[in-house]
Amino acid sequence: MKKLALAGMLALGLTGCSSDDPQVLNLYNWSEYMPQEVLTRFEDETGIKVVYTTYDSNEAMYARLKLLDDSAAYDLAVPSTYYVSKMRNEGLLLPIDQSKISGFDQLDPELTGLDIDPSNQYSVPYLWGTTGIGVDTADVTGEPVTAWADLWDERFKGKVNLTNDMREVFHMSLRVLGYPGNSTDPQQIEEAYEKLTELMPSVRTFNSDAPRMPFLEGEADVGMIWNGEAVMGKESMEALEYVYPEEGVIAWLDSFVIPKNAKNPEAAHQFISFVLKPEIAALISEDIGYATPVLSARELLGDEVAGDRASYPTAEDMVNAEFQTDIGDEALQVYAKYWEKLKSGL
Amino acid sequence: MMRSIKQQPFRAAVLVLVWGWLLFLVLAPNMLVVGASVMTRNPSTFISLPLNLEAYRQLFNPLYLDVFLHSLYMAALTTLICLLIGYPFAWALSRVEKNRQMLLIFLLIVPFWTNSLVRTYALKLILATNGLLNSALMSLGVIDEPAQLLYTEGAVIVGLVYLLLPFMILPLYSVFEDLRQDVLLASHDLGAGRLATFKNVVVPLTLPGVLAGVMLVLLPAMGLFFVPDILGGSRNLLVGNVIKNQFLDARNWPFGAAASIVLTLTMALLMFAHRLSKRRLGEEGA
Repeated sequence: MKKLALAGMLALGLTGCSSDDPQVLNLYNWSEYMPQEVLTRFEDETGIKVVYTTYDSNEAMYARLKLLDDSAAYDLAVPSTYYVSKMRNEGLLLPIDQSKISGFDQLDPELTGLDIDPSNQYSVPYLWGTTGIGVDTADVTGEPVTAWADLWDERFKGKVNLTNDMREVFHMSLRVLGYPGNSTDPQQIEEAYEKLTELMPSVRTFNSDAPRMPFLEGEADVGMIWNGEAVMGKESMEALEYVYPEEGVIAWLDSFVIPKNAKNPEAAHQFISFVLKPEIAALISEDIGYATPVLSARELLGDEVAGDRASYPTAEDMVNAEFQTDIGDEALQVYAKYWEKLKSGL
Repeated sequence: MMRSIKQQPFRAAVLVLVWGWLLFLVLAPNMLVVGASVMTRNPSTFISLPLNLEAYRQLFNPLYLDVFLHSLYMAALTTLICLLIGYPFAWALSRVEKNRQMLLIFLLIVPFWTNSLVRTYALKLILATNGLLNSALMSLGVIDEPAQLLYTEGAVIVGLVYLLLPFMILPLYSVFEDLRQDVLLASHDLGAGRLATFKNVVVPLTLPGVLAGVMLVLLPAMGLFFVPDILGGSRNLLVGNVIKNQFLDARNWPFGAAASIVLTLTMALLMFAHRLSKRRLGEEGA
């Protein structure tokens, strides 16, 4: 959450003053995406102090790193799927020395060697997950929600949450219309926009800080949510269910990368190795509800977590699932135009 | 004036500090923004040559005009509410006993010690469907079902008023402080009733404070992008949200810069109007 981002910045400001610290690792990560326990254990084990700063969108992270200035000298960042290839192509990343990463061979082969980084020279998978539908089953009665198209249902007027993510919201609408979620066709994007304007009266809020919050606050009954958020939300709200929509979920893979202006790439390698340890990877997956790519960690998971379809989907759940890809600058401008149009409700 | 500066090194140091501050932290960043606004958008380096006015042309897109007008409407409503609350508040404040006045002003300023972002989150907790306000109203039996307060235009206005009210009260307080009691007595002696005194004496004499307050509220109200983000559920865009989106999501820096320049120019225009009106008032007084 932004509150945490703020706390992170504060921590950064405070530690920035003391230059005689032995070793510091500047970690730039999504909000609520790393249990504090992991950071503490890493600090205890290595003596390296972790300065933790957060962001709530790839765009924000990218804009910050792109500047390559000293105020944004992070040693590790966690971009999603296609942002890895984008940043790699723009020369924003340092290569990762795989010989220094223990546990690389433990990674799910389906999540390594992807098009975004064919030989994993620049990225190591951290967690993967999906964006699907959250349903507050205590308040939603009648026909069960099974598809993105159900969000348009009259009964959800004023009760729908969407992520505050331009690409995801359009992805969802494009899939409802039967188009590819990564469409670059201006005609299709416009149609998706038209379709979304019909949804707008139902939309209560856009939230990418912590999409479970509108459900817990009682503001939303149904809507887009990340699977880990649904798992975390269920802890305090039993009725919150995660649904894999028929049109297909939005899948993503978040990977560790070392930005070009990192001051302590050595510590970054150490941290990646630490997180790939089976017991640490299992701890992370259990705590924040996303799926770990470390195969040996999955055996350590309790049945409750390993058997939770929200965290670990079945093959059937992933039918029609799509990864986001880089759509190029021209299409991005088209999306941006319709996004602002949509948000201003004009 | 010049002599006193030479005699007082402290004053000279302060002047250097103030001018340095203005040059490096106000003028220089603004020049960078002006520079960015006339550059060409570039996907890999954000901005590049050649220079052109394309970004300003884009501002005339009817969409952005609508966003600007909507933003102006929200800001104007905020300003009006601040004025309606702030005017009597400042008047009352100037009338209480001096010692207590200091305490009240202190209380008015205390919230500034907490970051406005944190205070906005606090408001969110109060306005949420199962938040403080709804539970209180429900337990009192005023309403049966929780009212939808959060993520509405009303919530955004409440947030803006809450954050900006002190900026309206303080300049008004200072003009009311200068409003001398004998002027009002003279008005009464000359046969003016309460209403006539208010209309012909109080309002003209406090107008500079009103204008200053309006300036301090209206423009920030258009720029506080985190208020619609948090309290409006990222709906009800302000110009500030468009600027933020252009810099982060669309990565169109020239356009974002141009939008922010237009906002700054609007501010300058208002300040100019303020000066003109002050001068006119000054001449009348003389």
